[in-house]
Amino acid sequence: MSYFVQLVVDGLATGSVYGALALAIVLVNRSTGMINFSQGALAVLSTFVAYAVVQAGAPLLLGLLVAVAFAVVLGAFVERVVVRRFEGGDANTAVVATIGLLVLVSGIAGAIWSYDPRPFPSLFPNATLGLGGVFVSVRSIGTTVVIVAVMVLLQLLFRFTKLGLAMRAVADNPSSAALSGLPVSRLLMIGWGIAAGLGAVAGVLVAPQLFISPTMLDFTLVYALAAAILGGLDSPLGAVVAGWFIGVVENLAGAYVDVIGNDLKIAVPFAAMIVILALRPQGLFGRRTVVRV
Amino acid sequence: MPAFLTAGRLRAAAVAVVAVVLVLLPLVSSPYVNYQVTTMAVFAVALLGLNVVMGYAGQVSLGQSAFVGIGAYVAGYGTLNGWPVLLSFVVACLLPAVVGMLVALAAARLRGLALAMVTIALPIVGTPVAKRLSDVTGGSQGLTVSWLEPPSWVALADDQWRYYVVVLIALGVFLLTRNLVRGRVGRSFAIVRDNEAVALSMGISPYRTKVLAFTLASTIGGASGFLYLAVVQYTSPETLSFGTSINLVVAMVIGGTGSLVGAVLGAVYYVLVPVLAGQLDASRTALLSGAVLLLVLFVLPGGLVSLPRRVHQLLTARRRRSATTPPGAPDGQAGTPALTSDGVAP
Amino acid sequence: MKSLQHPRRLSSAVALFGVCALLVTGCTRDTGTTGGGTEGGAAAASPGITDTTVSLGISSPLSGATAGPGTCSVAGLNSYLEAKNAAGGFAFGDGKTRQVTLTYLDDAYDPAKAVANFRQLVNQGMFAYVGALGTPTNAAVMPIANQQEVPQVLLMAGAGEFSADQAANPWTSGFVPTYSTEGAAFGKLLVDANQPITVATLAQNDDYGSGYLDGFTAAIEGSQVRVVDSATYEPTDTSVDGQVTQLAASGADVLLSAVSVTPLQVGVLTKAQSLGWKPRVFLPSNTSTPATVLQPGGAAAYPDVYTPAFAKTPASPAFANDPDVQEYTKAFEQYGTSITKTYTPHCAWSYAEGAVLGEAFATMEEPTRESFMTALRGISGFTAPLLLPGITIDTTKEDQAAVSSVNLVRYNGTGYEPVQGY
Repeated sequence: MSYFVQLVVDGLATGSVYGALALAIVLVNRSTGMINFSQGALAVLSTFVAYAVVQAGAPLLLGLLVAVAFAVVLGAFVERVVVRRFEGGDANTAVVATIGLLVLVSGIAGAIWSYDPRPFPSLFPNATLGLGGVFVSVRSIGTTVVIVAVMVLLQLLFRFTKLGLAMRAVADNPSSAALSGLPVSRLLMIGWGIAAGLGAVAGVLVAPQLFISPTMLDFTLVYALAAAILGGLDSPLGAVVAGWFIGVVENLAGAYVDVIGNDLKIAVPFAAMIVILALRPQGLFGRRTVVRV
Repeated sequence: MPAFLTAGRLRAAAVAVVAVVLVLLPLVSSPYVNYQVTTMAVFAVALLGLNVVMGYAGQVSLGQSAFVGIGAYVAGYGTLNGWPVLLSFVVACLLPAVVGMLVALAAARLRGLALAMVTIALPIVGTPVAKRLSDVTGGSQGLTVSWLEPPSWVALADDQWRYYVVVLIALGVFLLTRNLVRGRVGRSFAIVRDNEAVALSMGISPYRTKVLAFTLASTIGGASGFLYLAVVQYTSPETLSFGTSINLVVAMVIGGTGSLVGAVLGAVYYVLVPVLAGQLDASRTALLSGAVLLLVLFVLPGGLVSLPRRVHQLLTARRRRSATTPPGAPDGQAGTPALTSDGVAP
Repeated sequence: MKSLQHPRRLSSAVALFGVCALLVTGCTRDTGTTGGGTEGGAAAASPGITDTTVSLGISSPLSGATAGPGTCSVAGLNSYLEAKNAAGGFAFGDGKTRQVTLTYLDDAYDPAKAVANFRQLVNQGMFAYVGALGTPTNAAVMPIANQQEVPQVLLMAGAGEFSADQAANPWTSGFVPTYSTEGAAFGKLLVDANQPITVATLAQNDDYGSGYLDGFTAAIEGSQVRVVDSATYEPTDTSVDGQVTQLAASGADVLLSAVSVTPLQVGVLTKAQSLGWKPRVFLPSNTSTPATVLQPGGAAAYPDVYTPAFAKTPASPAFANDPDVQEYTKAFEQYGTSITKTYTPHCAWSYAEGAVLGEAFATMEEPTRESFMTALRGISGFTAPLLLPGITIDTTKEDQAAVSSVNLVRYNGTGYEPVQGY
């Protein structure tokens, strides 16, 4: 029994990593209606900034703050200078532009810091809690708590604040939002800025486990995309829950079903996803109207 | 401006020039150049398949590399087991077609990103599956073949023979696809892409149309996998990796979505940019190719194929500007609906 | 219909442009058969070698997930070659002294790109292809290299296929010990303890992991050592916690962790001890650097951590005064840091590989690829810089890489020390 619970707990911890990046993807989609492939790369570059600050001798918390500030500016800058060119045009071109950003930003990080993964300090103590034969690291608990807190904040932002409502309006229909007097271009910049800032938080949270490198989030991005879409692209709650779902299902399938094994365990959450999406195309927690290409 | 009357003749002349260059090129150029041009033909076919489903039918697919990979594996397995080449080719097209159709049957009711996510599963799951089936696929070591050497009655080197075979098959695939997308099937693709409700009202089933588009795309992808093996003489799980799929989508958009010529230009880009980046600085290839990609998209959001139209646009815009007062206020004012003004012009 | 004309003309223009761009590197049909060198000796010189220069090429992953080891496989080699060039050049067996140029290209771990790069390098007049990293990329290049009779040597890949059959692939050779050599070293240590031992294995799901397991299983056959549980992972996984939890349930005495991804190896070390499972741990040579793996992973908690080693770790305080290491550090700072700023053991290995090349050059009597291969296949008992005491280069063994033996070493909390048995 404790073995089973341990596998679930491990899966939740891994799922929190997916959920962290998925939240940033949801935020950009919710505020700009786009899918941003460069989300991970922007997060990595910001995390490298935190790394540089820590290397210079400052505490990690300061590094995190600097990284978030850097990321907000970077996100807004990228939106203003690069992404704006493709907004409102062909959706595929916009997605490919974000892929271009992914390659470019990874390349910049690689040119400055090289590619081999480096250890990264954790915000949380390096300790393990044990309860009834089940063990969980304080780092995983801390990561999960922060992610849930961010998720709640995002839900509140979109549901109850003027800014959040305006951002949703812009994402849903830019032209009518503009006609009703909303500062569309500024809101898009803010949306990208906040999303990149959130990405920086996610990066600093997961870097102690994944180690910091330009490609740190490349593989995570696939899981995060899956989580974001499975959860419903406009739902922060959905992104986190779907991240956990993927992490847990994968772990259990790998451990208990011999035919699947460790190599094919990734197929299980994807198969589940196809079934779920076939029944609920808008995702677990998504609203039907917001499904867009 | 070309004179209207000579347009037909110009076109014939252009086709003739391209044909002559294609025929003569391998005879005079080095094995390396032949290899690269043959590789372009391979990826042009892969991009063509992707274009059928994404460009013509408007359905996002992030799984094209899986079909290329399956096609390459079939060709490799066939070669190592002494199948006739024609049989290898047919199966290399059919097996991906069946896989593509099955996936589409399950997923074609989905739209947009949900559909994209299902297609991502193909390379993500396909990679470990390929390793699992190591008796057929050679596992992570892959399949090495020594294949498609020129028959004794042909006085050509390996690279020249492979060039002609691959380019000829690629041309055949392009011609067949051209007829398809310009005919009834192509029209139904376009209608489903633009408006599914309209399609339904015209008696076209969006579901069946999408399944057809996916099946076609995977068939063509399989054909390109066969050609891939002919050129590279090796295949491994890396061939069907997700990264390859992403690169194919990038190349398709760079070439020009929904255009046959765009598929060719995309393949040229796909092969050439890494070479050029390597020439500039091999340890900064990611940085360089990302920058080139963004630069091309900035200048030509419609892809390389839109270059003449873009030049034309710029020229006429300048002429108009010098003739009349500049239209429109400078952008950047808060609240200006910049998105719509950009989105109107096709 | 007028709009149709533009793309057509454009296509021909761009096709021509593309072809021209390729042709920049040279377009003559007979490239690769005539030599770039002078006809001084009895035999015509092979391409890529003159009386004063010889050009080498390498294609490794320099971007993407495997770029850490990939860049190191170039940077260390470049450091050795350039430092030696600066000191006057390489003395060859034909009495001439030559400067070595190394051209490196990025294949991003993509076999098709590796083949294209190899063909490009041959086209540009490369004498030999050296030290490339990556199993699928090198496997794709191998048949072409052997068909064209271009040396593809001292590969930074431990798959058996590059060293196993020299008769079938006479132009290919490996440098680092094969994965099964490392696995077998572990097996032997356990067998020699002569007591019942249970083992759990975690292996990467490819030739790397299976090579390890094959060597290990062959070594423990018929002994009291038993594998009680095993798991695999994909190099793309973000976590192996689930696998470690699964293996911990077996409570095995020993964990063989054939994991080649640094963060995942650290994850193994942290996870197992957090579950209260503290077996003796075997780590492969490429993920056992104290500073990046053992200290972050808290390896001191385990009763013993073993690894096979054949080269010195330059950053280790134990080697701070070692002349080899000092020379390496000086060369790397000058010629390596522009390629990578991070360290993996491949940096030190490829540096040593440069010295092996130099040794082959010194005994190569004619400026030909054949003579180079003969010289390269005839080295034995050579002590390359940075190799641990007792490890020598031996290229004369039919089915082994240039480095065919390893020293098992034990972690002592700061660095490694020789093993005194299990």
